[in-house]
Amino acid sequence: MAVKSNAGKPLFGTGGFRGASVFTLIVILAGFGIELLTSARGIVMPGWPFNLLFLLFFGALIFVAGLMFRENDLVSWLGGIPLGLSLIIGLALLSFVGGVLPQEKYPPDSLVALLRLNGIFSSWPFAFITILFLFNLGLSLVWKTIPFRVANLQFMLFHGGFWIALSCGLLGSSQLQRLVVPLYEGQASNVAYDRNTEQTLTLPFSIYLRDFRIDQYIPQFALYDPQHDQLIETRSKQVPEISKGVRAEWPGIGSVTVLEYLSNALPDAQGHPVPVEVNKGVPFARVRIEAEGKVSETWITSGGPHVKPQYVPMGDYFIVMAEGDPKAFMSDVMMKVDGGGDRITATLEVNKPVDFQGWKLYQMGYDEKAGRWSTLSLVEAVRDPWLPAVYTGFFMIMAGNVLFFWKGVKKMEEA
Amino acid sequence: MTLVEFPSMAFAAIACWSAGSLLQFPAKSSKVFSTTSWLLMISGTIVLTWFLVSYWMVLERPPLRTLGETRLWYATLIPVVGFLVESRYKIRWLKYYCMGLAALFLGINIMHPDVFQKALMPALQSPWFVPHVVVYLVGYVLLAASSVSGWHNVILNFLGKRSSKGESMSHYLALLGFVLLTFGLVFGALWAKEAWGHYWTWDPKETWALISWLAYLGYLHLVTMKTDSRILQWYLGFSFIVLLVCWFGVNYLPSAQNSVHTYSG
Repeated sequence: MAVKSNAGKPLFGTGGFRGASVFTLIVILAGFGIELLTSARGIVMPGWPFNLLFLLFFGALIFVAGLMFRENDLVSWLGGIPLGLSLIIGLALLSFVGGVLPQEKYPPDSLVALLRLNGIFSSWPFAFITILFLFNLGLSLVWKTIPFRVANLQFMLFHGGFWIALSCGLLGSSQLQRLVVPLYEGQASNVAYDRNTEQTLTLPFSIYLRDFRIDQYIPQFALYDPQHDQLIETRSKQVPEISKGVRAEWPGIGSVTVLEYLSNALPDAQGHPVPVEVNKGVPFARVRIEAEGKVSETWITSGGPHVKPQYVPMGDYFIVMAEGDPKAFMSDVMMKVDGGGDRITATLEVNKPVDFQGWKLYQMGYDEKAGRWSTLSLVEAVRDPWLPAVYTGFFMIMAGNVLFFWKGVKKMEEA
Repeated sequence: MTLVEFPSMAFAAIACWSAGSLLQFPAKSSKVFSTTSWLLMISGTIVLTWFLVSYWMVLERPPLRTLGETRLWYATLIPVVGFLVESRYKIRWLKYYCMGLAALFLGINIMHPDVFQKALMPALQSPWFVPHVVVYLVGYVLLAASSVSGWHNVILNFLGKRSSKGESMSHYLALLGFVLLTFGLVFGALWAKEAWGHYWTWDPKETWALISWLAYLGYLHLVTMKTDSRILQWYLGFSFIVLLVCWFGVNYLPSAQNSVHTYSG
């Protein structure tokens, strides 16, 4: 792919790019026309087994057209680079719409809703362009694959991988199930909710939540400016973590030194914090405040379900303590197939999903108002039968990419 | 090292790059000046690398979470592209643009200082975090260099001093950048499956990553169509705008309100 220094071809003069662009534009407009005429209902992906049948039929059509009508002008144009390029631009433009406009509900009589610009990735123009793109990509793939030449391996892997990932990802979306399973500590459930259809479903297994817990970062303290609703930056530009001996200074205002830190404590009858078991209490810190020539000592706390937050004034500001951000949250669960059979215990954690009975279970959320005292754990159960095909595509793309890199570096060396 | 030291480290790096660049003039006729100039320019990057490594240690997490942190990586890496191009192709001008861009990004960080924050949300605690972001950043750096080089070639062409070597360089930088964008996109999809349950959700950041990838995919097909290289220089020059939208412009778009990717910096 060396770049020649002498004049190459001008962009719009190249074999049919202008025609291909006009064709792409007409297809997009036709898609929007259908949206206008059908109350912007968009497209519905065929479900099982029609999605597979469609894929097989579409693949066979590409093979037949590519192999039997290779010399035909129309087929040659449909599999050509000019059309491919204009479809890439078409896809980019439609994605641009989806990348700028929020893909959510709009007033039904707004232009955005009438043209389904707020659901662009399931709209007719997007479907038309994607199908044409897959047809174009598929034809070029057939021509580069048959007859087989090792020199075309990079092309086959990259383009073939993209074809598989895109077609299987889109057609498989009708079988993708993403269900939310709310679990309460000490209880089992097999009830799940589909957020899209707002339907309740029963899973083929139940999940018993033994324990839900949250690890947090160390609490921090800060100087809060209530007038401007903002935090004042310390001299060190850090939001200090609370631990014994830490000192923070706010130039021109004062300083705070942590004298004592209790990570889990509850106030006694007199209001003095007393250490308690891990996760039973709230963090308390005894601080020395030096401001305007005065020195004072007091307790501060971020508070919790039964403990009010305690903050102290310093000039026009307040010293406040904030609970540490969640570091990790996890659910200890036991899953078993209803009516006996397979049973496992596992810990679900963000980024560490667990497989069970063809489902992948994810730690999704919890009752954020209750924070680390939450007894509710939200688990997501995901089933995607087409995932292996999509991943095959991904790995082919990556293999093709490695060859592309290697070839590129080699050519660069020669340049 | 913390953010308190950042301005002085940034100014030290910019001073090294500036002094090294100035010494490039007498360096043409003197080996001593040439060596000193290169030592200074490389020192600028070493200073930033040193800051980055020590900041990583103090933060106790990869400094790749906030926009400011990604700018810091970018400022550290982009001059390296300029230096490597000169050592390989003997093209001298690219490094000045690269150091200029790096200084600009350091300046933005000085004007908008980050807040020192060790916390890393659970979704980001993944083995994919560093490879996904670093691959993207190196890709962005290469594509920025190809864009700058594209604009330089456009100007040269206007002046009637067209350089085939310069055009070839912008092409190969774009090609390598595209390879890294592809890896970044696929790594991101694989990570998303582990963290959020699905590999593609049309999140605005994902959508813009696809748009930028398609922009450079379009470029490669234009090359295959043997498009006039002078037009391609314009194309590369403008393509980077799409990447900038993907990098931080997306935060300001109406679609960003529902994104899982909005940076906290």
